[in-house]
Amino acid sequence: MTSTVSASGLSLHYGGTRALDEVSLRLTPGVTGLIGPNGAGKTTLLRVLATAVPPQRGEFTVLGHDPGSLRGRQEVRRRLGYLPQTPGFHPDFTAFEFVDYVAILKELNQRSARHGEVRRVLDEVGLGEVRGRKIKKLSGGMRQRVALAAALVGDPGFLVLDEPTVGLDPEQRMRFRELIAQAGEGRTVLLSTHQTEDVAMLCHRVLVMAGGRIHFDGTPAELAAQAAGRVWSSAERAPHAKAGWRTGTGTFRNVGDPPPGAELLEPTLEDGYLLTLDGYGMAVTA
Amino acid sequence: MTWHVSEADLRAYARAELAAPMLWSADTHLASCAECRAVLAEVSEPVDLGWERLDAELDAPRPGLFERLLVRLGAADHTARLLAATPVLRRSWLASVVFLLVATVFAVHSSGSPTLFLALAPLLPLAGVAASYGPALDPTYEMAVVSPVHGFRLLMIRTVAVLTAGLVLNGLATLALPSYGLRALAWLLPALALTATALALTPRFGPVLAPALVGGAWAALIAIADAMADGGSLAPFTAAGQGAAATVAALAAGLLYLVRDRFDVFLRSAA
Repeated sequence: MTSTVSASGLSLHYGGTRALDEVSLRLTPGVTGLIGPNGAGKTTLLRVLATAVPPQRGEFTVLGHDPGSLRGRQEVRRRLGYLPQTPGFHPDFTAFEFVDYVAILKELNQRSARHGEVRRVLDEVGLGEVRGRKIKKLSGGMRQRVALAAALVGDPGFLVLDEPTVGLDPEQRMRFRELIAQAGEGRTVLLSTHQTEDVAMLCHRVLVMAGGRIHFDGTPAELAAQAAGRVWSSAERAPHAKAGWRTGTGTFRNVGDPPPGAELLEPTLEDGYLLTLDGYGMAVTA
Repeated sequence: MTWHVSEADLRAYARAELAAPMLWSADTHLASCAECRAVLAEVSEPVDLGWERLDAELDAPRPGLFERLLVRLGAADHTARLLAATPVLRRSWLASVVFLLVATVFAVHSSGSPTLFLALAPLLPLAGVAASYGPALDPTYEMAVVSPVHGFRLLMIRTVAVLTAGLVLNGLATLALPSYGLRALAWLLPALALTATALALTPRFGPVLAPALVGGAWAALIAIADAMADGGSLAPFTAAGQGAAATVAALAAGLLYLVRDRFDVFLRSAA
């Protein structure tokens, strides 16, 4: 499959912190999940690929354009949709006005065509009925959908979503997942998230990042398989487990190297994620 | 039938973009001219698409007072919306500036010296421009940076609007000091110099530190000039001082142009 995004050796340091360390990747159409602990470098990677921050080393192309040149950067941005981690709004704008503002930033200057596009994307995220309502009067979930609508303006070929489900209640999160799945049809979506459920439900591929590097690149099933034979149940917390917690049934679910004769459990995506991150100071205990 | 609607006008008519009075003529003419109706059918977009656009247009919320005013003043509707999103072009900011200027004018009248006004007036446009772009006060900064509109162009659109608003308000305040004649306008060149210098230094120091440094340097310069004054005008407001301000403004504008591409990615403090 042709790559939409191709990156090689991306590096970026802030002072002594390695935000990105020799990151190479290829993204293809569909939803790719990007997971990792806080400070892993996820947001920095998204900002670099979205052309907001240039890398200090390495190169990449998006949809065949090199963002290293001014012209290439403009071409990438014309085909880019970006939903930042904390999307900001002008609170006095209505949903329509805000998306219209973003459409203008995307160079849709012809008024009637632009308004048609604004209405299309607001309808697409289910906000057609409240398009005239001020953003400050919308719920958190609705605001997040307004931001997604803004990212979808102009039918972008590459959509970058930075933790879009944070702060949403379960119902809103499910609704948002439907929208992301819909957005992933026919375009490349890079979804940064802390929710392994998001990855399990939406992604055909997942990248695990920590310390500015990518430590896993494969399918969600392959990530879960990293923990095959290393998840077991016990009556007490296993002292040598990498992670262990009491489940709702009262037994402990342990992740790590099992003792002989342990009752093995089917690994989940989260188990595979925890074991992949082993060595990065992330252990879960309860 | 002596005339027909041109194909270009029919295309505009089909897109609901034909303006009056040509629109009225076309309406009347189409009612009685089968030939033009046939051409219209050929050049029209699919009916559904046309209706969708018309519907979207009718359905678009009415712009706010500020945007409508800008359009009346001749700004394109998309430029008006870009300006409406400028944080400092809000009533609260403008009201604060007006309040400060009125208080300063009263202070000048009671002290009998325009120095306070001349020292303060250049800082107001500087603060306005500093607060109109960048992550600190523009909530959509991150979205704007990754948009195809060049960051420098957006910066200039906002800077021109904020500077114009700031200079007009300063100018109105100057009119309240008629007894000082042209001396009361000695804030203008320092205002341009401070604003241009702060913008030129923004890629290096960030959108908060750069104007803070420039504003601080101005305050220090005024304090030193005040300490060295022997009863006459402070040095920045003399002919030599005004010449220096004009030179700094020109040099800073040149430097700003040279670093314009640095505004197209995250500014230092935002990364």
